[in-house]
Amino acid sequence: MRAHDIDAVLTSLNTIILGKAAVTKLALTCLLAKGHLLIEDLPGVGKTTLAHSLAKILGLDFQRIQFTSDMLPADIVGVSVFERDSNQFNFHKGPIFSQLILSDEVNRATPRTQSALLESMEERQVSIEGQTYVLPEPFFVIATQNPSNQIGTFPLPESQLDRFLMRLELGYPNAEAERSLLTGVDRNSLLQKQEAVINSEQLLQIQNAVTDIHVSSALIDYVQKLLDYSRVSERYHYGLSPRAGLGLVHAAQAWALIEQREQVLPEDIQAVFGSVVGHRLISREGQSAEQLATDILSQVPIP
Amino acid sequence: MAIKYHWPLPSRQYKSLIALQILIALATGFLLFNSYGNLIGRDAGTALLVVMLGLKVIEIRNERDYYLSCFLGYFLVATNFLYSQSIATASLMFIVVILMTNCLISVNDNNQVLSKQKQLKMASKLLLQSIPLMLVLFVFFPRIAGPLWGLPQDAHTAKTGIDNKMTLGRISQLIQSDAVAFRVKFDNEIPPSAERYWRGPVLWETDGTTWTELQFNSKNKKPTITSSGQAYPYTITLEPHDKHWIFALDFPTNLAKVQKTIQTHDGKLQSIKPINQRVQYKLISHTQFEFNANNDTHLDRALQLPEGQHARTKQLAQQWLQISSDPQQLIQRALQHFNQQNFFYTLSPSVLTGDTIDNFLFESRRGFCEHYAASFTVLMRAAGIPTRIVTGYQGGDINPVDDYLIVRQQDAHAWTEVWLAGQGWIRVDPTAAVAQDRIELGMDNIMPSAMRAPLFFASSSQLIDAWQSIRNNWDAINNAWNRSILAYGPELQKLFLSSLGMTSPDWQKMTIYLVVLFNLVLLIIVAFMLYNKKNNDPIVATYQQFCKKLARFDIKRDNHEGPLSFANKTKTLLPHYQANIETITQLYIDLRYGRQQSSLNDLKQAVKQFKPKKTMK
Repeated sequence: MRAHDIDAVLTSLNTIILGKAAVTKLALTCLLAKGHLLIEDLPGVGKTTLAHSLAKILGLDFQRIQFTSDMLPADIVGVSVFERDSNQFNFHKGPIFSQLILSDEVNRATPRTQSALLESMEERQVSIEGQTYVLPEPFFVIATQNPSNQIGTFPLPESQLDRFLMRLELGYPNAEAERSLLTGVDRNSLLQKQEAVINSEQLLQIQNAVTDIHVSSALIDYVQKLLDYSRVSERYHYGLSPRAGLGLVHAAQAWALIEQREQVLPEDIQAVFGSVVGHRLISREGQSAEQLATDILSQVPIP
Repeated sequence: MAIKYHWPLPSRQYKSLIALQILIALATGFLLFNSYGNLIGRDAGTALLVVMLGLKVIEIRNERDYYLSCFLGYFLVATNFLYSQSIATASLMFIVVILMTNCLISVNDNNQVLSKQKQLKMASKLLLQSIPLMLVLFVFFPRIAGPLWGLPQDAHTAKTGIDNKMTLGRISQLIQSDAVAFRVKFDNEIPPSAERYWRGPVLWETDGTTWTELQFNSKNKKPTITSSGQAYPYTITLEPHDKHWIFALDFPTNLAKVQKTIQTHDGKLQSIKPINQRVQYKLISHTQFEFNANNDTHLDRALQLPEGQHARTKQLAQQWLQISSDPQQLIQRALQHFNQQNFFYTLSPSVLTGDTIDNFLFESRRGFCEHYAASFTVLMRAAGIPTRIVTGYQGGDINPVDDYLIVRQQDAHAWTEVWLAGQGWIRVDPTAAVAQDRIELGMDNIMPSAMRAPLFFASSSQLIDAWQSIRNNWDAINNAWNRSILAYGPELQKLFLSSLGMTSPDWQKMTIYLVVLFNLVLLIIVAFMLYNKKNNDPIVATYQQFCKKLARFDIKRDNHEGPLSFANKTKTLLPHYQANIETITQLYIDLRYGRQQSSLNDLKQAVKQFKPKKTMK
């Protein structure tokens, strides 16, 4: 039943996002692994559509926050307002109190605002004036980022990039997909019509099932070797953090679940490796993230 | 210094403890100094080490102390070999080293992961792995002629053996010991027991009770010896006895080849250095010889008798002299006297007091070889025939296991030589007149059974034979150990290395070879370990077998290729075997990455049955 659900989710997703099966699968993996997703690409390739359709299909509350340079933390987390009627402060929840949040163009905001978002992403709760407000479950942030060489951006520092489980690039659709995009029904109206395939309750169950996927010590050996390689090799500015390793295992578990397996295989690690590791490694030789990932994978033998 | 390096200063409690420790250490040092006379040297040094290690164990407080104690223990093991290098010691030390290593392992096993058996197993394994290295070191470690750093004076303690003076009763103490005196390998035949007289110190002077060598600088006085009869070439391996002489079958003829040894005027072989290590020398001896046939400068000393002693003996000699003054007849008469007058040969003669010679000849009449030799000498001297006592060994057992003749301390013997004009010094063994078997069959055969074998072995003749054969075998092993392991010194090493093609290797060159070899061995070990590591998981090893089978079809698994992707690749290339490949891959995935619900045997079976054929390609 669960396998059927996941399949259905993926199929629906792929009817809206055309020709990007690999990316949608990874995005779903990220969500099932309870990680947050960073999508980095040019405007207009379908980042928002992806976020929106995920929310729709999985039956989640959806909030979109458009980041701008004059945005304040309160615009995200909420604000306490004094109300005359009751003669006391009342907390007005911000847009972050939602199950799926699309933080559009996160690198347009000032670092202060960015941190507010990233902190609540990590903690899954918001503290204001001594009060702690727990964020809803499931909680999933998709942040989009324009390529950092564009004008008027505050690129996210490495420490904050590390908080995203995956970074994905959508890229241009292939010719066939683009043709059906251009001739077919408007995506927005498609989205409007889309029914939820599962509800948030079911999603939580699936998320919990991810952690039950067996991770053998042989696999841990492999992960350690990969981490080691990134730390020992001269080709990277910094090695991978333990959090990256943890993310790698979680993501691989989610991937194995989607692949309907009960155990994580080296292939699962390899499948998620590029998107988990890409934004955490900086090459000394100016290689692209994809190139880095394939290099490491081809260099490290499976024990 | 403690302040400078920010070491934690000892607390008040500790301070008093440390004071106590220093006190104990000083006391120990003082006591050892008291009993050994100094703190350097083998015995005192070892004793100091033992005591200090014992004290250290009491005050072990942290990991460092453990390590220190363990390493001190290793050092202590090494000191054992200053005392004994026998097989038994080596085996015992091997066990001790295993235990020490076990200690080190358990100290390092912080989380107590290993069981006691596993620790022991690991220690044994470690030690076994070190054997190749040990062999290389043994063979190639440069042996420098002469000790590199002089062994301390007391390194060679007193050992039993023939002395160069004789007091009645001394030799019969020796025969209680079955320690090996020397071993002989004859090149051809072995002479009969009655002709195996192994010559040692010759005794001339007597004060009535003790017989001693002639005090005389004899370096230039070479005896004239003419040998005839059958020649027996042989090699002697002499156990250390700390004395200057070496033993030989009568008078060897090829002495020039034995280094640093001279023959004294009375035929003793004198070595320049005391024999405190096992030595080996090759000699040739003849069974017939003439020794100083024409003249001997010391004949007067061979007639010397102490004034006013042995009155009755002298009287007896005078009686005989009146009957006949012919030396031959006098000798015969004396021997007959021993033979016919109720004399007994015994290994435990009663203690003689007063005039020992008179007492023996006329009262007790029970004696050992030395009694007969001494009294015969006194008789002959009193009758005017120059006589001297020769000490050494007689006989020896042939070990049937390796055909070595073993001469033990129990074979110690004393006999006499008389000088006859024209014939020179002739051997006369008065013991033979009393106990023929002692000379012809050897000591072992006349000993009471209780002395021939220990404990219950003495109860029956079969058990004694069994004991003898155990002893023979053990001795053959010991002999092999001595010849191949302990005798491996500079000469043997040179010989061995030149057989390997290294001409005239000096120790500098050897060091280079050693370093190279050492690294080579380490490399091999590392390679072995890496190889082993790859295969030590049976699951992986089985899977690799599967991969090997596929490699014959040029289907190679990249080492970063997961099992599933490899299976997918293979299935398209070998479509006929899809099912096999799938089962094997499924089993492998479950065993290696899954919850291991399948069995390894299934995987082994599946891989075994997987026999792809070339034609199917």
